[in-house]
Amino acid sequence: MTSKKETIQWLPLICAAVLLISFFLPWMAWGDSKVSGYAMVSGNFFKISEITLGLENPFPKLSFTFLLFVFIPIFSALLIFLAGTGRKTGWLPYITGALSLSLTTLYILFTDFGLGKNLFEAMSPGIWLQLIAAIVLILFVSPGVSLLKKIAWLVVGPVFVFASFSFTKNKLMGETHKNTTDIKADYTIAANELIKEFITHDTGSNTKYSEKMLVVTGHASAVDIAADSVSTVRFADSTGSYIIFSLEKEELEKVKNIKAGDPVSLKGVCSGSIFSEILGTTSISFKRATLNKK
Amino acid sequence: MKKTILFFSLITITVTGMAQKAVTTSAVIGFDATTPKDALPKAENKTAIASLDKTTGVIMFEAAVNNFAFSNPKMQEHFNSSGWLNSAEFPKFTFSGKIDKLSEVKFNKNGSYKVNVSGNLTVKGTSKAISTPVTIVVKDGSVSTSSEFSIVLADYSVTGGPITSGKVAAEPKISVSANF
Repeated sequence: MTSKKETIQWLPLICAAVLLISFFLPWMAWGDSKVSGYAMVSGNFFKISEITLGLENPFPKLSFTFLLFVFIPIFSALLIFLAGTGRKTGWLPYITGALSLSLTTLYILFTDFGLGKNLFEAMSPGIWLQLIAAIVLILFVSPGVSLLKKIAWLVVGPVFVFASFSFTKNKLMGETHKNTTDIKADYTIAANELIKEFITHDTGSNTKYSEKMLVVTGHASAVDIAADSVSTVRFADSTGSYIIFSLEKEELEKVKNIKAGDPVSLKGVCSGSIFSEILGTTSISFKRATLNKK
Repeated sequence: MKKTILFFSLITITVTGMAQKAVTTSAVIGFDATTPKDALPKAENKTAIASLDKTTGVIMFEAAVNNFAFSNPKMQEHFNSSGWLNSAEFPKFTFSGKIDKLSEVKFNKNGSYKVNVSGNLTVKGTSKAISTPVTIVVKDGSVSTSSEFSIVLADYSVTGGPITSGKVAAEPKISVSANF
């Protein structure tokens, strides 16, 4: 009985137990919403972040990669068993600790980016327990392992997460719309046909064309050029309903050559229609437009 | 004879009224919710519809929410999403107001006139009374108007983490300009 008690490895056992329990405790408080470590595995993390922080999953197709973190509670449970029965734990404390530090780093970076302030206020007891248990597990479980190796295990996860997070953030924040000229049109249609379609099937047309790239051809009914390089070209039908293109500034010189009545072909992103109370007609607007050909 | 006079009087009044109401479909509305933390929430709509009635001083604007053009695709998406301005359900912003002291503006005389316009701004289905200074410039018969003011997004049920985190201004600047 006495020899069995002596074989229990208390430090890894306690650390693993703390990791296991705290994984399911709140890690962060985003407003009124509490987010546990388990939320990343269950998929609730991005559902909550979308509502509370306005941040959605940047790569939904890669969501399966977050299932990796389910091994934190699994490995913790395994560690409890191994340490509690006096068996060798091998690399398991390091792998579990590194996984835990990776996930905590992700939560910290995401919260700091999303909330922008009050990071420490947002950090709940769950993430502190997770951090402490993971660091103790890596640093003190195997006295024979060199300090350099332990430090490497400590930083490998956070460094990888930090690099991935920074890359994603910079990519998304620095992203701009592609040039209209480089995008293939989803539809090519005559101006009068498009107006007719919107007037007869407003809801259906908005669903069909909104945010789609269209090439519209017809005779320009009006061209407006403002002093600050803002230019618009309109196509109108006999009822007064019209299509209006807001052209990119680079198109200004070309637009100057267009007169009302000229045949013109324009390409742009359809913003859908509104019914104007001022004019009593339907207005279909386009953004980021370019001159397709005159 | 009386009927003929009445008919021509009505025609004259109608034509005069139409002539006094100036309309443009190329008014520009700017939305600037940038903060020191984020320079992305900024957009322009260059196809707003505006009208100015020179006899009554009534000014109206309409702008398609979805035609505010952001440089960043994600920002464009968020702006129109159901959690924000919900352009699918509320496709336009509208303003209807009146020049407070219309007699101070001489539409037949070149000059720059600083007046106040009061009216209702409707965003996301909610109308709020606003009052803002407007500069009216009359030059050789053409009239241009410009104004800058701020709105409180929470007044229009636009709330969320990006605002509380300081990434989106809680009171974005709105600029409006129209050449009639």
